[in-house]
Amino acid sequence: MVEERRILYEHLDVPDINTFDVFRQYDGYTRFEKAITEYQPEDIAKMVMDSGLKGRGGAGFSTGLKWSFVPRDIKPCYLCCNADESEPGTFSNRYVLEKNPHLLIEGILICCYAMGIETTYVYIRGEFTLGKKMLDAAIKEAYEKGYLGKDIRGTGLNIDIYTHPGAGAYICGEETGLIESLEGKRGQPRNKPPFPAVEGVFGKPTVVQNVETLCNLPFIVGNGVEWYTQMGPTYADTRANPPTPDPNTGTKLYCISGDVNEPGVYELDLGLTCSELIEVAGGLRGEEVKAVIPGGSSAPILTHYELDTRLDFTSLTLAKSMLGSGGIIVMNETRNIVDCLLNIMKFYAHESCGQCTPCRWGTPWVRDIVQRIADGDGRKSTMTRPKFGVAENGRWGDTGETEEIYEDLDLLESVANNIANVDTMTWNTICVFGIAVSWPAVSYLRKFRPEFEAAIREGKLVTLPVAEATVPPEENYAYQQRFIPKEFADL
Amino acid sequence: MAFVKLNDLEIEVEDGTNVVEAAREHGIEVPHYCYHPGLSRPANCRMCLVEPHVFFPPAGAIVPDRQLATGCTTVLRTAPPDRKLDGKYDFIVRTDSERVKKARADILEFLLVHHPLDCPVCDQAGECDLQDYSHRHGHDKSRYLEVKNVPPKKDLGPDVLLYATRCVVCTRCIRFADEVSGTGELGLVHRGSHDEIDIPRSHEGVPLQVLDNKLAGNVVDICPVGALISKDFLFKSRPWFLEKANSVCSGCSVGCNITVEYKADGVYRLKPRFHEDINQHWICDDGRLGYHYVNSDDRLQLPLKRVDDALTPTHWADALATITEKLSDIETEDIVVIGSAQGTNEDNYVLQQFAHDVLKTTQLGLFGQLPGEAHKFPQFTIEADKNPNTAGARTILGSANGNTVLEGDALWEKVSSAKVVYLVSGAPERPLEDAEKAALESVDFLVVQDVLPSEVTQFADVVLPGTTFAEKDGTFTNSTGWVQRIRKTIDPPGEARVDWEITQQLAKQLGGEMNYHFAGEIALEIAENVPGYADATHQKIGDAGIKLADSDQ
Repeated sequence: MVEERRILYEHLDVPDINTFDVFRQYDGYTRFEKAITEYQPEDIAKMVMDSGLKGRGGAGFSTGLKWSFVPRDIKPCYLCCNADESEPGTFSNRYVLEKNPHLLIEGILICCYAMGIETTYVYIRGEFTLGKKMLDAAIKEAYEKGYLGKDIRGTGLNIDIYTHPGAGAYICGEETGLIESLEGKRGQPRNKPPFPAVEGVFGKPTVVQNVETLCNLPFIVGNGVEWYTQMGPTYADTRANPPTPDPNTGTKLYCISGDVNEPGVYELDLGLTCSELIEVAGGLRGEEVKAVIPGGSSAPILTHYELDTRLDFTSLTLAKSMLGSGGIIVMNETRNIVDCLLNIMKFYAHESCGQCTPCRWGTPWVRDIVQRIADGDGRKSTMTRPKFGVAENGRWGDTGETEEIYEDLDLLESVANNIANVDTMTWNTICVFGIAVSWPAVSYLRKFRPEFEAAIREGKLVTLPVAEATVPPEENYAYQQRFIPKEFADL
Repeated sequence: MAFVKLNDLEIEVEDGTNVVEAAREHGIEVPHYCYHPGLSRPANCRMCLVEPHVFFPPAGAIVPDRQLATGCTTVLRTAPPDRKLDGKYDFIVRTDSERVKKARADILEFLLVHHPLDCPVCDQAGECDLQDYSHRHGHDKSRYLEVKNVPPKKDLGPDVLLYATRCVVCTRCIRFADEVSGTGELGLVHRGSHDEIDIPRSHEGVPLQVLDNKLAGNVVDICPVGALISKDFLFKSRPWFLEKANSVCSGCSVGCNITVEYKADGVYRLKPRFHEDINQHWICDDGRLGYHYVNSDDRLQLPLKRVDDALTPTHWADALATITEKLSDIETEDIVVIGSAQGTNEDNYVLQQFAHDVLKTTQLGLFGQLPGEAHKFPQFTIEADKNPNTAGARTILGSANGNTVLEGDALWEKVSSAKVVYLVSGAPERPLEDAEKAALESVDFLVVQDVLPSEVTQFADVVLPGTTFAEKDGTFTNSTGWVQRIRKTIDPPGEARVDWEITQQLAKQLGGEMNYHFAGEIALEIAENVPGYADATHQKIGDAGIKLADSDQ
């Protein structure tokens, strides 16, 4: 049985931890003090690089690497804390904001010290009214106690934090969409490059970090890199020669919801498997697992064949999915995948910002096709065609059999792939919202195609038994294409 | 200069050029909607996707990038020596690979899913980027079965209508209002597939601000589809029936480059034409909509002669005979010849030759439209001087022969003491100020050459029907010293004649020796005789114009 390892959440349930005095009793701000007394800013940046900390917001980009892109000679430089936790199925930042806001402030202080930043904007999701209230109160307290403002603790550091509520748009959780919104414009992502690290808020270099990422900083500084890297696996990236280390260190706040007995946020080391996680969350509610969404609704779905996939950034990327924000949704045998996809596509069609063509008009189109299938109006041709799959020679090709043509399923896959191509991992859109639409659409369709076919054939939603509904991995082209290096498999 | 491999071409481009422009220079089309060279680049249409090569390739490898990039934001620059691709190229990009072609077709499919395909009744049909690109790059059939969005048609301002169903949300119009006119009336409302261009409105839908700036008409030009439509041109003609001639706007002394679009029965619209140093891509609405007088039914079509206190139509021989008779027995100092800032350099040159050689007077005047308001926009200026050729007329009239050119009060003082005045106006609907009225009233015999009846013509004893900028060839000199060509498009109405021809005819009848056949011939003589105009022949001016050597601006 895997045990929770609470670090960020360790003191979450301590009464009044949101007040300065109680937070102080639990080592509050001592890590920041250690940073400014014992280390130079460059040392902190090096520690973060060495710790292998990956951004917890979704993309899993190395935080230390991101910091290294920020030009040091252009001032002002800004820190943007992304607290616009809008990915469906994700709710870990919210507890930090509501219960332990001083931890975030301490993380911000360390980041500001390391990067020479004087101004921080915390962009909080508009619906988090309590979180904003608590954070505002904590910021006020920190100002009073001299941990924010001018000449902090007599070190000459000036750091200000401003909170800014969002107005309810999913896309403002995308870093450049967030920056546009923060500047008072329509929340529409920018073209990259230039990346925010070079040209961000008000045209200045900007570090954009998720709440959870910043909350890791006090512990990295307080306990050291060695302590931090012991948690979670470190793989070897074999694309480089010699292979470079690919760390997935630290803990992750997994938000588990859906058909488990004890849904909630669990802080666990990165790298445990899907089935272990379901066990931690009190086990499955229902007979068997039908599917698992591993990283928020935009992540490609995992079938019951893939429950041994390790839930860390690298493993999930190699499994053609992603850890994303760590929002894990478990589905049991009663769930209809067509219906699930419709739910998700309704969300994305509503949340597309409408800036670029493929997403603006492709996303509602995908939704409409899924809606039509769910309504029983999906189209099926009377013709048949050669079936592709694992052929006699063991390779992908013509199997010699024929298959029926479900026109709308072909259309759905084609339209989704035109927004962002799942096989080549490329997108025609400005931001990765396109990927967030086409990944679920195509992965649900490919992995649970029998259920889609049944809905068209029967003219209504049909929930098939798990074994029947799932395409076996060996028959799934995307699964076939998985890239699993030997070094990775051994770990 | 960057050395770039574009498809199979090896080209040199200026640092900072984007792929769309570099390709255009070499005759390769990269289709685009949102990109406009005069505006910022949001890269939101995704139509100009191209295939760049990896900039930091693994040693020695030349591989296309996994991700396509937008050509409008992909800027070509010289690479450091150690980062040259294939040892020599600063950049390698393909605009014709299979991936690019597929991406274009896919984007076009998305652009057309909500488009009403109402081309038969769309003003833009024939000059529409959606049509052209669909034809060249699109799929041959639609796969869209769902319900189309039908946003409402909207009235955005005095001259602009929005057919929102046709809109591809490229936001060119919004960026124009933000960046060029700086007035910011336009914005996007709603979100996602319900995105709509609109002006600010109250909750009840009442406009709080309308698209009513002096540059508003440009949004119609830059709209790549038929969404923004000019009310002035609405349903007037299919664009492919229009003839086009490069010309210069006569609305003010900026001298914006335009294209006059016309049919045999009149001018249909004026469109801006790119000139880097004068108007970039734009013209103002005063100029754009200021052509209507050309087509007016009130245009002077026959010479008029005062008979019993009323101006009555007559024929040319009679009108000219009347003037000749009057001029033949009059003292030189009693004659004033007044040229026009609305006229071409050629008109004015012939006029001053006539004054000097035939009438032997050196007293010339300069007449033109009254000054109006000047407007300054972030990237555009409208001048207060509402004449296209003040600078040119002033120089040409006063150039040779030691003429003096009188303007303003000095001119009207001179006119009050004159007996015969030959006034070339050409300024449509020119109101007269009191001093001018009094001066003209006191003239014994006033000859007015004009295009429309006006306060000026009502004092005339003989009115000669002249021509507008759309009906003659010639050159204008703008306020910054650019000499540019206007071209004849339509025939003058009735028996109206080109102004310099009228003057030449008069000169001939009075025994002068003048024998020009076309405007270019006069321009050659101007080049010979007028200081600074040595290069201003029609051949050298061409479509781009030339800047006078001695103009210091």
